[in-house]
Amino acid sequence: MNRLPAPKLFLVLALGLAALYLFPLYWMYVTSLKGSSEIFANPPTFWPNDPDPSIYPETWARRTMATFLWNSLVIATGVTSLTVLLGTGCAYVLARYRSVWIDIGLFAILMLQVLPASVMITPLYVGFNQLGLLDYPRTAVILAAAGKAIPFYIVLVRATFMSVPRELEEAALVDGNSRWGAFFFIVLPLARNGILVLAILTFMQAFGEYIYSKSIITTQSLQPASVGLSGFLGPNSTDWNGIMAYAAIYVTPIVLVFVILQRRIVAGLTSGALK
Amino acid sequence: MGRIVSSITDGKGFDLLLVGLTMVFLLALAGVPLVYNVVMSFQQVDMFNLSTFSRPFAGFSNYVEVVSQPEFWLIIRNTAIFVFGSIGGQFVFGFALALFFMLKFPFASTIRGLFLVSWVMPGLVVGALWGWILAGDFGVLNAILKGIGLIDNTMFWKSDPSLAIWAVTIANIWLGLAFNMMLLSVGLAGISQDLYEAAELDGANGFQRFSTITLPMMRSTIGAVLALGLIYTLQQFDLFPAITEGGPANSSNVAQYWAWQWSFQLFDFAKGATVSVMMLVFVLFASLVYVWSTRHEVRG
Amino acid sequence: MKASRLGLMTGVALATVAMAGAAFAQEDVTITVWSIDGANQVGPSDTFSAEFNEMDNGINVEYRILQFDEIVNETLRAYATGNAPDIVSLDNPDFALFSSRGAFLDITEMAENSDVINTEAYFDGPLNSVMWDGKLYGVPKYTDTIGVFYNKDAFAEAGIENPPQTWAEFEEYARMLAEANEGMYGATISARGNEEGTFQFLPVIQMSGGGYENVNTEGAREWLSMVKGMIDDGVMSQDVLSLGQWDSTGTFNSGNAAMAISGPWEIDRMVEDAEFDWGVTLLPVFGEGDERSSALGGFNLGILSTTEHPEEAFEVLEYFVSQDDRLFPEFGYLPTRGDVELPPSGIAEKDAALEVFQEQLQYAQPRGPHPEWQKISKAIYDAEQAALTGQMTPEEALSQAQATIDTIIN
Repeated sequence: MNRLPAPKLFLVLALGLAALYLFPLYWMYVTSLKGSSEIFANPPTFWPNDPDPSIYPETWARRTMATFLWNSLVIATGVTSLTVLLGTGCAYVLARYRSVWIDIGLFAILMLQVLPASVMITPLYVGFNQLGLLDYPRTAVILAAAGKAIPFYIVLVRATFMSVPRELEEAALVDGNSRWGAFFFIVLPLARNGILVLAILTFMQAFGEYIYSKSIITTQSLQPASVGLSGFLGPNSTDWNGIMAYAAIYVTPIVLVFVILQRRIVAGLTSGALK
Repeated sequence: MGRIVSSITDGKGFDLLLVGLTMVFLLALAGVPLVYNVVMSFQQVDMFNLSTFSRPFAGFSNYVEVVSQPEFWLIIRNTAIFVFGSIGGQFVFGFALALFFMLKFPFASTIRGLFLVSWVMPGLVVGALWGWILAGDFGVLNAILKGIGLIDNTMFWKSDPSLAIWAVTIANIWLGLAFNMMLLSVGLAGISQDLYEAAELDGANGFQRFSTITLPMMRSTIGAVLALGLIYTLQQFDLFPAITEGGPANSSNVAQYWAWQWSFQLFDFAKGATVSVMMLVFVLFASLVYVWSTRHEVRG
Repeated sequence: MKASRLGLMTGVALATVAMAGAAFAQEDVTITVWSIDGANQVGPSDTFSAEFNEMDNGINVEYRILQFDEIVNETLRAYATGNAPDIVSLDNPDFALFSSRGAFLDITEMAENSDVINTEAYFDGPLNSVMWDGKLYGVPKYTDTIGVFYNKDAFAEAGIENPPQTWAEFEEYARMLAEANEGMYGATISARGNEEGTFQFLPVIQMSGGGYENVNTEGAREWLSMVKGMIDDGVMSQDVLSLGQWDSTGTFNSGNAAMAISGPWEIDRMVEDAEFDWGVTLLPVFGEGDERSSALGGFNLGILSTTEHPEEAFEVLEYFVSQDDRLFPEFGYLPTRGDVELPPSGIAEKDAALEVFQEQLQYAQPRGPHPEWQKISKAIYDAEQAALTGQMTPEEALSQAQATIDTIIN
């Protein structure tokens, strides 16, 4: 395959595809910079006539985005920690053996997350209420969202562990290591890349968590940015430049982190760490 | 006691502990709500007994009523279009892109990484963005399609009953494409180059190499991608309220949004639970496919 | 005897002192208020809550903004789990869901003894929506209704003198006004698949002799065919099926539609945004001199029956009611009482519009009240959408809706 001609042609094609694919993002930034009447221009303008970046500080302040984003950060950090803590060991065990029980375990894990969050929320809310967890709404959201994230994490991290040669672990056991020792000092370091990448992806997903936060967190100062955005999207929204500015402020940090780390993420995902 | 301790440090107990902890957590936060939904689908539920378990038994009457709704078959049809359209689109485009980026050219992996941006975007933002792009009179998609001469008349993506379900499907394909591409890339990267070179020496052409090496080697990856795709598509909710709200007249309504409507717009929690239990059957099937596909995995 | 009596009295006195002492030692009472006001623009409930909270009267008000789509189910779930707020503000057709089940506090007596709340001053429609079984479960907060906004400049250009009085004229004018090439539709409405669709469609059913329990009228069928024809011919945008009233009227404000069916909540924005002369007229009727109808909108305030502080909550309610005269000047909402003066704003278009809407209110009919209103409403907007998209004929759509409604009511 590496002898195919014209790599430059491919590069151009790849750039074209990426541009096409990322057009919605471009459109978000462009819309945010337009004036309120230009937004409804027909046909739409592809570059704002009079770009107005003042919408960003304005939206930031008016929608108390600092608080919202901080809460998103807290929730995403909590979900990620909990997921990595609980998911990694489980994935390791599920990758280590090959038996009917493992099949049943995997099957159960998949079945446990089949219901959309929108129908899970009522029972969860009732349960959290009885446990008094609603007084700690962000913790409650972290628990609920981790319950959604863990199965996904297990399935993918399990694939990472599959790629760790079993011989290495067995050699460590022969050398007198305990199972704990072999797991922590041999297997985990080898699977580190895959775990790191999935932790980052879990974090980014949790950063956008919406349904649980919306129902569980009733105090505005504790709500994450997704709930703040939904406040915009009510039935009476024509403030599209504001919405898009909000969305841009919301996703730009994730996108930036992603672009900066993407070499590592992509390498971690593709170069055998995840197979 | 000593045996238990040593088992936990060194034997099966170690495995059971790791799996057990997670399972207990998942059972509490996902298992209990699931059972709760199943139980609720056989009961009469209202605002006064919502938080208790003992409610009047309703037998199958919720199921009968749900099935006899005039929109029932329309929603089944839409769910099928949404699920198979999304998975098909994500898979075909994802696979094509994954193959394309396996070619050696400058910045291939960097550009591929950019695609993943869609996957880290919050669903609500994606919904708002596509709702805006797909708008009828001032949507940019119509402007582009008109500009390149593909259409003459405005396409009312969100209001035309024959288009609405496809509008949401398009947005969902966009959202899930990158994830599919990445998983498939991972699978492709795992296929030894030697195999291709040997096949090339034997005179196999591109298509033959694809069908005799790539596809068989990718079987478990493809199984996993499709099964996960089905589960995630059935969970996709954020796009519906943001783009079509299931309308017009249920023409883009799907099971997961319908379940939500029953519970949170019509306040009939039992019917909402009933629809969600029906969805379980679909996912049961997908999970079986997934577990089956892992049978062909090779470790190490 | 005497001694024991004295003892009793001392006891009573002591108890009174003790109670007063307890009241002094008590922390401030906190009353939680949930409403949608403040979600898109500053509204009465958020403003009045903040004001009341500022007062040093031993009662704090904690205010929470909810989205229109979420407030009912959030309240329902909170009520079911014992976390309900003390006061909630609901759209008037949603009110019966709670009052019919006793989830709202019966305030009949409290209102009778109140100096602020006088039930006789309220208009019938709004008052009906807070009553159930002859008891008062809340107070109407504000009301609204719908009429036809029209672009006077466009009318003059097309040579049309008066706004439409009948649906036939509405269609005729819309067809004359539509300029497809200039991105100008003849008219816009909201036929969205939610309560907004029902809000605009139910008056048509009512003015043709029907009601929510009897939807399949000849007039309703005619109207659906008429609107469908307008959509098919590009006189109305097909997006009326997905646009809410605020978005739909937005296209009128930007000059992309010559007429818009909407309500008084639009006025302030229109004064600001519309770069043309505009006016409002009553919702058209089928034949001249026919019975009029219009939608009755607006929100109510109720105290949840689970409240621990009914007296304090009622005090908050009284404060809200006492500020009714600020509803229109500050927020553009119409009061629900006849005894509130509406001072002219000095903006000619706004004052003229207000006059029309006040007249229109006399014809406004409530939706319900019915404890399962949401299901009835869904049957109605589903039928409207099915007919307007051509999935069913008006006759099929409405008779299907009628069948659904019959099973709900009986």
